[in-house]
Amino acid sequence: MTRRRSAAALALALIVAGCAPDSGKGAGGPPAATVGGNARIAVPRPGPPGEWPMPGGDYSNSRYSELADITAANATKLQVAWAMSTGVLRGHEGQPLVIDNTMYLVTPFPNVAYAVDLATPGQPLKWRFRPENAQAAAGRACCDVVNRGAAYADGTIFYNLLDGHTVAVDAKTGEQKWRTRMGDVSLGETITMAPIVVKGKVIVGSSGGEMGVRGWLGALDVKTGKVLWRAYNVGPDKDMLIDSSFRPFYAHDKGANLGVTSWVGDSWKRGGGVSWGWVSYDPALNLVYYGTSNPGPWNEGMRPGDNKWTCAILARDADTGALKWVFQVTPHDMWDYDGVNENILVDLEVNGAARKALVHFDRNGFAYTIDRATGEVLVAEPFVHVNWARGIDMKTGRPILNPDKLTGEGKLVKEICPSLEGGKNQQPAAFSPQTGLFYVPTVNLCMDFKVRPVSYIPGTPYIGADAPERLGAGGFGGEFIAWDASNGKKLWGIKEPFPLWSGVLVTAGGVAFYGTLDGWFKAVDARTGAPLWKFKVGSGVVGNPITYRGPDGKQYVAVYAGIGGDMGLLIAGDVAANLPYDVRERGTTLPDLAKWTSWGGELFVFAIP
Amino acid sequence: MTAASRHRVAAWVPALALVALTAAVTLALARRGGISAVEAAPSYVPLTARDALARPEPAGPDSIRFVEHPDVYPVGWPSTGIPLALANPYERNATALATGARLYVAYNCIDCHGADGSGSMGPSLADGRWHFGGRPAEVFESIYQGRPDGMPAWGGRISNDQIWMLVAYVRSLNGGRDVSTANFTGLKSRTVERSGH
Ligand code: HEC
Repeated sequence: MTRRRSAAALALALIVAGCAPDSGKGAGGPPAATVGGNARIAVPRPGPPGEWPMPGGDYSNSRYSELADITAANATKLQVAWAMSTGVLRGHEGQPLVIDNTMYLVTPFPNVAYAVDLATPGQPLKWRFRPENAQAAAGRACCDVVNRGAAYADGTIFYNLLDGHTVAVDAKTGEQKWRTRMGDVSLGETITMAPIVVKGKVIVGSSGGEMGVRGWLGALDVKTGKVLWRAYNVGPDKDMLIDSSFRPFYAHDKGANLGVTSWVGDSWKRGGGVSWGWVSYDPALNLVYYGTSNPGPWNEGMRPGDNKWTCAILARDADTGALKWVFQVTPHDMWDYDGVNENILVDLEVNGAARKALVHFDRNGFAYTIDRATGEVLVAEPFVHVNWARGIDMKTGRPILNPDKLTGEGKLVKEICPSLEGGKNQQPAAFSPQTGLFYVPTVNLCMDFKVRPVSYIPGTPYIGADAPERLGAGGFGGEFIAWDASNGKKLWGIKEPFPLWSGVLVTAGGVAFYGTLDGWFKAVDARTGAPLWKFKVGSGVVGNPITYRGPDGKQYVAVYAGIGGDMGLLIAGDVAANLPYDVRERGTTLPDLAKWTSWGGELFVFAIP
Repeated sequence: MTAASRHRVAAWVPALALVALTAAVTLALARRGGISAVEAAPSYVPLTARDALARPEPAGPDSIRFVEHPDVYPVGWPSTGIPLALANPYERNATALATGARLYVAYNCIDCHGADGSGSMGPSLADGRWHFGGRPAEVFESIYQGRPDGMPAWGGRISNDQIWMLVAYVRSLNGGRDVSTANFTGLKSRTVERSGH
């Protein structure tokens, strides 16, 4: 998109959002007190601001950095400082870590880890770790062979392998300390998520919601790799680690063994509800937060009931894994609206009252501001065009369904918005305490949905639906929006021709960074959304930008370029050109994407020279 | 050998709807003749080894009995010296193609290889290009013994007869199209409908 067009889109978005067009433009002062409800990061980063020590930057998953050398005034001068090939093609989701002048990277399958010496010119490797990883995993992952990054603690790098293992690698030497088998890849159980480390435990969750597996979250001992607890997301209370301390906020979520009784027969055993997204942690409440995926299969008639606790946000005790509360975002999902998107922990005011909240932009198109101590929904408003539900009933937290958009046996339901990719997918939003705003990379696709019978065959997809997608109203693919979670309002947006699949970084310099599928890496003014700078990187961006201070004292911004994931593999299969025997034709959803980009696997690092 | 004795009824319980659908399909097919109802019905036999990638166990006396064409792939593993000239008994048989298309959905090939083989988690089967060979016997082998990047082994789990029907269907997907050039005009690159996951 040209600068002129995006400026026009911005002006339009401002008008649509009901703001005076000049309320944003160049406004230097702080936002009005009500905007953002004086929000601040609940759990700021413990370490030096020049590092990037965990996947989301901090336990809140804010993706905010205090670094302020790059500002809205000088971002136009950004240039490539260096770049590096990972040697691997396919979807480079996730982000590097930077600790002690060393950058740690994990590639998509085969999940090679690199330690890059930032203190030596030319950025040589300190080590490279090539794990054993079952080749069969490549064909068992639903949505490309992605990996969303590593965690760090006690001189050790922890990450997950696609074939269901978690590994610990010595951060100094690159030697494997331990390796634990967490999932069964022969059943289609893979792992793609980035773990976090909480109080001596590596927190890990599974993928495979399209393969009829049963989801779980596990905690491994950082020292030994021993599984300290494993909590299923579906099934009997015993498996789910539900005891008398379980206090869901809503009456309909109370009762024994709902993870079984909200299903028919033993359908819960292959019911999905995996946890492939981001994990947050609040040390004061000692709770870890994460979401669960769609239920399996997509053919809803095969699993009548609420299908608890799929498409839900769960809060667990970090020590024991015991479930403290749960909120089911989309009960009895029939549109593949996984609830795994990140939960950003902020303290803010809602209706004038200070709340400890988490903010969650769900696949189902609603943005939820939730009390993170209790699971009460405080605000729930659509952040993209939504037509499957008319709104959220604030008494129950449940969606008010649109009867015309219910999928099921014997019907072709047209124009469901958002599509199964969601109003937002895995690409994480960011939050800035300076502006009080959330920066959300959204998707504007709608779908038709037709179920078909499906049988469970271990190790094969358990889906039972076809759901072709196309661009939603307005003819754009995605929009980068600024969101006020206190009031549930969009302030402005930047329309993009393709769906957004890259995460966001926002800094104290007042700059927000994101990438696009067609390979642009962009900087925009965090207050106004005014475009500041862009650079065309080597491949579409589905990774998440980070920033760090180099040993030379400079602020750097780093991001993966390497299109893939559901968009790059399944939707636009023709962006690949590396296999003579797998030549895919253009997908109808994004027919021209391959004109702009191809598969790649590079890290790009930018700085002001 | 009676048709019923050829296949043990699977312990695997298909969705009721699927049973109804396939029953209708297979009856219709049976009436048109050529393929018996039992051969056309999807029937997946889980093995004791849970790993679908593990070598398929040779069929024990009590498991499955295979249709005995003189020219089918020999049962067992490893299959030394595959006669590459091996013919597909169902090549260009319209009824078998239609059954193959239904089995392609029933055995979840569709969600790994895409509708009409357009490519998804697994490679495109509609590009006219083959990693492991496109002759009937080679495609049979891909399906029978599986392939290393996650293609499950179906040998011993579904009947050889059904594999041959899948071979016929899969080989028909390209339809002689040349996919070499994409110039985004619609002339030299058509679009195909794919589902995301
Ligand atoms: C779990 C996903 C999955 C399922 C289910 C699956 N496949 Fe595959 N298939 C793959 C993958 C991945 C490959 C590529 C294997 C490799 O390159 O090692 C493949 C390869 C193949 C090949 C070889 C292609 C070539 O280029 O030589 C054929 C033929 C094939 N599959 C047919 C089928 C049929 C027919 C079915 C259903 C009975 C099926 N597949 C089910 C994932 C799957």
